[in-house]
Amino acid sequence: MIVDDHAIFRSGLKADLDPDIVVAGEAGTVEEAIAVIAAQRPDVVLLDVHLPGGRGGGGREVLAGSAPLLGATRFLALSVSDAAEDVVSVIRAGARGYVTKTISGAEISGAVRRVAGGDAVFSPRLAGFVLDAFGTAPADIADDELDKLSARELEVMRLIARGYSYKEVAKELFISIKTVETHVSAVLRKLQLSSRHELTRWAAERRLL
Amino acid sequence: MTTAPARPPLVRSSDRVIAGVCAGLANHLGWPVRMVRIGMVVAALAGGAGVAFYAWLWIMVPTADESARRNARRPASPIAPAVSSPAAPGAAGVPGDPGTLGAPGTPTPGSWWSKVPGMPFGKEILLGAGLLLAAGILIARLLGVDVPLGTLIPVAAILGGAAIAWMQLDETRRAGLVDKTKADQAGGWARLAAGLALVVAGVLVMVSGSGSWEQTWLALLASVAVLGGVALVLLPWGLKFWRDLETERAGRVRATERAEIAAHLHDSVLQTLALIQRRAGNEHDVIRLARAQERELRGWLYRDADKESGQLSVGIKAAAAEVEDALGHAVEVVSVGDCVMTQRHEALVQAAREAMLNAARHGGGAVSVYLEVTDSAAEVFVKDRGPGFDPDSVPPDRLGVRESIVGRMNRHGGTAAISSSPDGTEVRLRLPATAAPAGTAAAAANNANGEAKP
Repeated sequence: MIVDDHAIFRSGLKADLDPDIVVAGEAGTVEEAIAVIAAQRPDVVLLDVHLPGGRGGGGREVLAGSAPLLGATRFLALSVSDAAEDVVSVIRAGARGYVTKTISGAEISGAVRRVAGGDAVFSPRLAGFVLDAFGTAPADIADDELDKLSARELEVMRLIARGYSYKEVAKELFISIKTVETHVSAVLRKLQLSSRHELTRWAAERRLL
Repeated sequence: MTTAPARPPLVRSSDRVIAGVCAGLANHLGWPVRMVRIGMVVAALAGGAGVAFYAWLWIMVPTADESARRNARRPASPIAPAVSSPAAPGAAGVPGDPGTLGAPGTPTPGSWWSKVPGMPFGKEILLGAGLLLAAGILIARLLGVDVPLGTLIPVAAILGGAAIAWMQLDETRRAGLVDKTKADQAGGWARLAAGLALVVAGVLVMVSGSGSWEQTWLALLASVAVLGGVALVLLPWGLKFWRDLETERAGRVRATERAEIAAHLHDSVLQTLALIQRRAGNEHDVIRLARAQERELRGWLYRDADKESGQLSVGIKAAAAEVEDALGHAVEVVSVGDCVMTQRHEALVQAAREAMLNAARHGGGAVSVYLEVTDSAAEVFVKDRGPGFDPDSVPPDRLGVRESIVGRMNRHGGTAAISSSPDGTEVRLRLPATAAPAGTAAAAANNANGEAKP
């Protein structure tokens, strides 16, 4: 399912997706999106961050409105925006990943499959935001694990920020792709759940909260 | 009354000393302003006739703005009267602006005078009473009756001062409705102050002329009390006008912002779109243009107020932009952390630029640049997805990699490493935060050379 307020972009994206990905529905506004998602129960929703309608919250409102479905339906945020507040707010609202609209058809199909499989999709930019937010120093102690990235997670994030694909990250670190995906999902969980002081401050500085 | 159709309409000019009457009159009659003013002063000295005439014109003649608005409203579309809110009707019984009291028939164009029958006659009655009074006094003086001028003049001063102050109130309201400049407002304040000063001076003259200092003080107290009372009455109005003014100002700020955005979009996006249309045949040019425009627009939209030029990330981004423009190849920059650019960082940026150029030239797909600045070092990673190359097989005469990247980094106490595989090439540049001693730098250089040959 594709949610975007530009019909041309929706049809273009539909044409770009691999033929085995079926587009179950389309929506152009917040209200429409919430209704269609509730009716269609798609596996993956490609969600534009900026949407008309609702109370002006865009993609975040769609996520909030579809909160009961978050377990079954996965959201992949899609945006032209580079702004940290746009990206991180939808991730914290429950999106499983973030890609820019300039992404190629093959890449987005891969991202959709990955999200459908329950993994997270990190673009280099999102990885950069994560590193910015959590800091680049690894956690020493594991007790407040939500608040800091482990050394391995940091390594993975750094490589993704450097433009490595998951496969390349796995090769570079001599681990399996599955392990990379596990790390990335852990980072996503931390990003969504962490109440870390620095993250809060970082978010507040950028008016995310 | 004296309006001739061929002449410019009689309006109070904005080029004013008191109320713009003389200037307006001069403009209307085609006489020099100075002459009219001198004539008015002379007439004023001749038993106050000039003053009466002036006051009469002041009350009866609209300002240029008012006149223009009235004339503009007349032939407007049927929507216009509904849309344009009428000028706020004068509060406290001041007669409303006749132009806003509906549209009785079709008034004769070009003649503001035709409006007068439509307005309440409060002004005329007041004026007539004043004129009759003045005439009565003059006649009484001619007949030898002792008119107490010593009392009358201060009273006239008080009335005049109050009138000026009240006209000022009217001005303030107009200022809220019409876009007035600050200079005009300053002039308005000066007029208000002049009015107040006249009132106080009049009171003082009257009191001190008639009695002892004790009475003066009492009168002063009374006048202060009166002033306080007037202030109390006028305060709500003042607040309302102030709020109107603020709303107006906020609206103007928004309009200015909008205009700025429109101007920016016009200067950048529309121009680029036009260029793209013209070069639609050349794919390379179109991509380059679109990319450069996207970058520029992004920079403008998401610009960080805190991030000033002179930061390392800005330098890297500028280098990436340069490469993009030169080669039409997308270069994505992700940066974490930042620091102020020093001369050594300049070298880092130059080396990164060289690496980006190579990546864009020889690599395929998007070039990823990642900048990470920590307390200990600044690192730049430049990655492409090209077929890769063997750093050892680069001929010695090719200075790009050897000199511009590795050599430059080593000279500044940093390191450069290149790893290449069939999946792509990555150049890693590292510059420690503090300049390393020469020996360490040399060691690092050796180390880097070792890394460069995996």
